[in-house]
Amino acid sequence: MAIGRRGFVKGATLGALAFTVGGVEVLIAPREARARNVPFRLLDAHQGETLEALGETLVPQARDAGIAHYIDQQLSVPPHESLLQARIFNFRPPFADFYRTAIATIDDSSRKMFGRDFALLSGADQHDFVDRMRQSKIEGWTGRPGAAVYAVLRADAVDVVWGTMEGYEALGIPYMPHIPPEKRW
Amino acid sequence: MANEKVDIVIIGAGASGSVYASVLAKAGKKVVLLDSGPDWQLADLISSEIWGRRVKPAGAPILLEGKNPMAYAAQGGWGVGGAALHYFANFPRLLPTDFRMKSEHGRGNDWPISYEDVAPFYDKVAREIGVSGDAKAEEKWRPAGEPYPMPPMKTFRNGDIWLKGFDAVGIPLVPAPVGMNSVEFKGRPACLYDGWCHVGCPIGALANPQITYLGEARKAGAEVRPWSTATRVLTNPAGTRVTGIEYYDEKHQKQTQEASVVLLAAWSAQNPRLLLNSATDKHPKGLGNASGLVGHYMMSHHVANTWAMFDEDTQNHMGTIAVQYMSYERYPKTSHPGTFGSSFVTAGFAVKTSDLANSRNDLFGPELADYMKRAARHLAGIKTFGEEQPTMENRLELASEKDEFGMPLARLTHSFDQDAVALWNANLEEGLKVAKASGAKEAWSARGAIPTSHLLGGTIMGTSAENSVVDSYGQSHEIPNLWVAGPGIFPTEGASNPTFTIFALSQRGAERMASQWGSLTN
Repeated sequence: MAIGRRGFVKGATLGALAFTVGGVEVLIAPREARARNVPFRLLDAHQGETLEALGETLVPQARDAGIAHYIDQQLSVPPHESLLQARIFNFRPPFADFYRTAIATIDDSSRKMFGRDFALLSGADQHDFVDRMRQSKIEGWTGRPGAAVYAVLRADAVDVVWGTMEGYEALGIPYMPHIPPEKRW
Repeated sequence: MANEKVDIVIIGAGASGSVYASVLAKAGKKVVLLDSGPDWQLADLISSEIWGRRVKPAGAPILLEGKNPMAYAAQGGWGVGGAALHYFANFPRLLPTDFRMKSEHGRGNDWPISYEDVAPFYDKVAREIGVSGDAKAEEKWRPAGEPYPMPPMKTFRNGDIWLKGFDAVGIPLVPAPVGMNSVEFKGRPACLYDGWCHVGCPIGALANPQITYLGEARKAGAEVRPWSTATRVLTNPAGTRVTGIEYYDEKHQKQTQEASVVLLAAWSAQNPRLLLNSATDKHPKGLGNASGLVGHYMMSHHVANTWAMFDEDTQNHMGTIAVQYMSYERYPKTSHPGTFGSSFVTAGFAVKTSDLANSRNDLFGPELADYMKRAARHLAGIKTFGEEQPTMENRLELASEKDEFGMPLARLTHSFDQDAVALWNANLEEGLKVAKASGAKEAWSARGAIPTSHLLGGTIMGTSAENSVVDSYGQSHEIPNLWVAGPGIFPTEGASNPTFTIFALSQRGAERMASQWGSLTN
């Protein structure tokens, strides 16, 4: 039986995500993937930009923490390897359907309300939009309720900002892992 | 592809299947366990809520409907160990009143057995896998039994801070019994109180099946086949006996495993899904379903969460995900006027950053960031689990859509009735009174969607095929060598966390199966 004390058990090499850099797969954290401008695997540039804007509105620092790269990379792996909150919400794979539909719905509503896509709104309008989405109070909204979209995207943003070892440190919370993730995210 | 016939094939290597595997393998039977997911090892259990999602179900074989859809993926398990690989290991037991619901209140169902039938198996499981707690303290509410083999777990301010408030409203708290080690037990180390239990405890301080029953089963020769998805229970032409299991292996090749006995132990949703999908001309409604009750009486607990901020440091990063204190004081079915059902009161538990964020899910942006900084030091919570009554309307059925193996998806419809909603509200109101009396600076109820916890029913036990699917041991009323185990056989749910009872009923059923083996295989 493999019993170890705190941190004594060496973690499996599963703590980082596989991103493709220069045609080679490397294990890095989403923050680094964004900083290195790693191309998205499934999202297009506008979808990535929109996820970053949504993430930043929901949780400050989510953009720099690499929320769009995290979601994009996770959409590219088989569902049973997925770490996305969509899994816990019991969404039916492929999870990309949820994100693509949500982004399209948000942009459609944003254009009706403010005349432009969500990512192009001012910070105040983005906050107002998300607050209405949270309460499912956007007229003409289609698909999953706004509150459900809010819940999933907010949970993703919480993950990348505060679900990591760095995030715990930022809040002053001791992480105390038995088996630490290989990367501190 | 056919495999060599074995004595028993078990579908699901979680809490219930592992107990049967251990008992039967040690009795000399050739045992094969099939599990649809990977064979997790302790070293896979990374301390991270993000990485911890790997041990949860993926995909949507269960479509969730109703006013209060079951939190299926959050609660369920995927892979060897099942949900017990990441469970909270709260080990309260059911109380005598739970077994007599119909007789005492004219509601729900009676169990075909009494508390006294199960009690010796609670004690046996505690001796076997280790339970920490104070049995004597609990005995103000339940019949006496054996002491727990380990003293209670340590407590922290996030638990102790509630004592004054509960005392003020007349609810005595006692140490909560948990399937964790407060001290070293059978070579497994004591808990470190790091709060990572819910993503899997890699040091073995928490009694997950991999290091308890499954470990013993493997030593005794049981074979575990991961990545094996069962799709049908097979029967003989006359429909009088089951003959084995059809399943798909890791390469998606169809396989057949013949066995003298088949045990379904794949949790409350997959067991009825399998039975319904195994219909034949002799069993047109599905196996063991002459009563028409397969898939019905699905139940879940509602959870009343109360959160509070205190001036002092609540040490909320310390402890376990299991609770530190519990009370049966509100367990009598009519404790709250105008409501019906038991409540199980708990307090004190470690939280992670997702819990902090979810404790105020209305906040986002800078307001959330500010809140997180305060909550990281000053938040504490209490949870009260509430009972719902079994109803035919809460049910699992086969859907028209199919999964990758051609098996129909299941549709699980679940709604809390008026009694359950009233009880949830009463528990939330009482939680606020407790928080106020505890000296909380601010307190609030987690309103909105009613949280569901645990999944029970769907293959309930009873006295005959007229009123149930299986008998009190889990044996089908109609097909003697077909058995079912797990919370699906509970005919009522009480309010206690179910896993201790799952272990106890499985131990009881497995010993019965072993003792009656000759009659099962002839």
